Amino acid sequence: MYDFLSQNSLYVVLIITLSVWLGIAFYISRLDKKVAELEKRIVD
Amino acid sequence: MKGLSYTIALLVGLGLGFFPSMERPRPMWWKAIVIALTSLVIIAALMPPLGGTFFEASLASRLETNRPKIPVKAHVLKETKKFDEARQQWYVDMRDFGERQMTERIFFKTKDYPRELENANVAVVNVDFDKLTRSFTAQEIVTTDPILTIPFIPALSERTRNLYFHVPMAWVAVLAYLISMIYGILFLKRKDLVYDIKSSSAAALGTLFTILATLTGAIWAKFNWGSFWNWDPRQTSIFILMLIYGAYFALRSSIEGDERRARLSSVYSILAFVTVPFLIFILPRITEGLHPGAKGDENAGPLVSSSPDAINPLLSMIFSASLAAFTLIYFWLLGIQIRLKKVALRSSLAAHDE
Repeated sequence: MYDFLSQNSLYVVLIITLSVWLGIAFYISRLDKKVAELEKRIVD
Repeated sequence: MKGLSYTIALLVGLGLGFFPSMERPRPMWWKAIVIALTSLVIIAALMPPLGGTFFEASLASRLETNRPKIPVKAHVLKETKKFDEARQQWYVDMRDFGERQMTERIFFKTKDYPRELENANVAVVNVDFDKLTRSFTAQEIVTTDPILTIPFIPALSERTRNLYFHVPMAWVAVLAYLISMIYGILFLKRKDLVYDIKSSSAAALGTLFTILATLTGAIWAKFNWGSFWNWDPRQTSIFILMLIYGAYFALRSSIEGDERRARLSSVYSILAFVTVPFLIFILPRITEGLHPGAKGDENAGPLVSSSPDAINPLLSMIFSASLAAFTLIYFWLLGIQIRLKKVALRSSLAAHDE
């Protein structure tokens, strides 16, 4: 795996780009959960 | 030139970030701009081929043990095309775009002269430098007459593209902590809990981007410096920064009462930000380290170096677009989180009144 990635460094860039988007997606899903909690609280 | 395009990026990011108001739903055109800008950055950072100079190609072949294939972007001097009887190979002279404008003879392994080059004025060719005969052999022709190429940096090769994703993370993190501090000050002045919401949301997003800067940096470090974590000054300082802001959230969750929590955490956010310029801008430059621009490193890095061939104007614009795009994504998330927390605050106050 390491050898493959060090020879095809474009895939390293791919991993880095994906980790940025996954981080942002994680944050969005956290916000989503907070909205759900708030909805529940307001309806109750 | 570079400074100007970075400044424009900052102004666009801040301008569109704050106007129209963060506390109302973003209009359609606003979202369209952010999505278009982000897509543009991803395409511009990932699609264009790398194109270096002959000097960099010979440098890279000296740096690496296995003979690497280096992409060189150069003018094809068509009239010099000839068949070398002794080597039984076709060759053509090419003049690169470097400061020295070096002209080198390129030999082809194929039996015939490559047809793609017949009509091309400029080509990107993967070359292999033979140290013994001091000659370049074309391994493959990447593209002819490219619209845009990304400069080749020896030892980075394709990983150059990480610049457009890794550096904006750190930029946005600093901006987020700055905004957190400003709202902290505003809270202390006006005692309005909405400012506390803004301050803490900004810090939370700053922490997200700090973690992303660290994570992308660590992956990059594995392939350039050999291990994920090297205790480079910048890695150490961002680790300390994470501890400082980790303590901020620990402090917030340990205090009962909205007013008290807001007051103490505003004061803490001001104190915490005081360390940011030192940890991000000063410490990594006065100590020796692996990041470009460390003490004793003449190469300030392609983004801040004043050398004209460090990064070309078009690419500094792509980098600026990336800064603006991630700044706007930050403001988009910030707006959503602020609106959410404001509703939560109002509903808890309403419940309190009943």
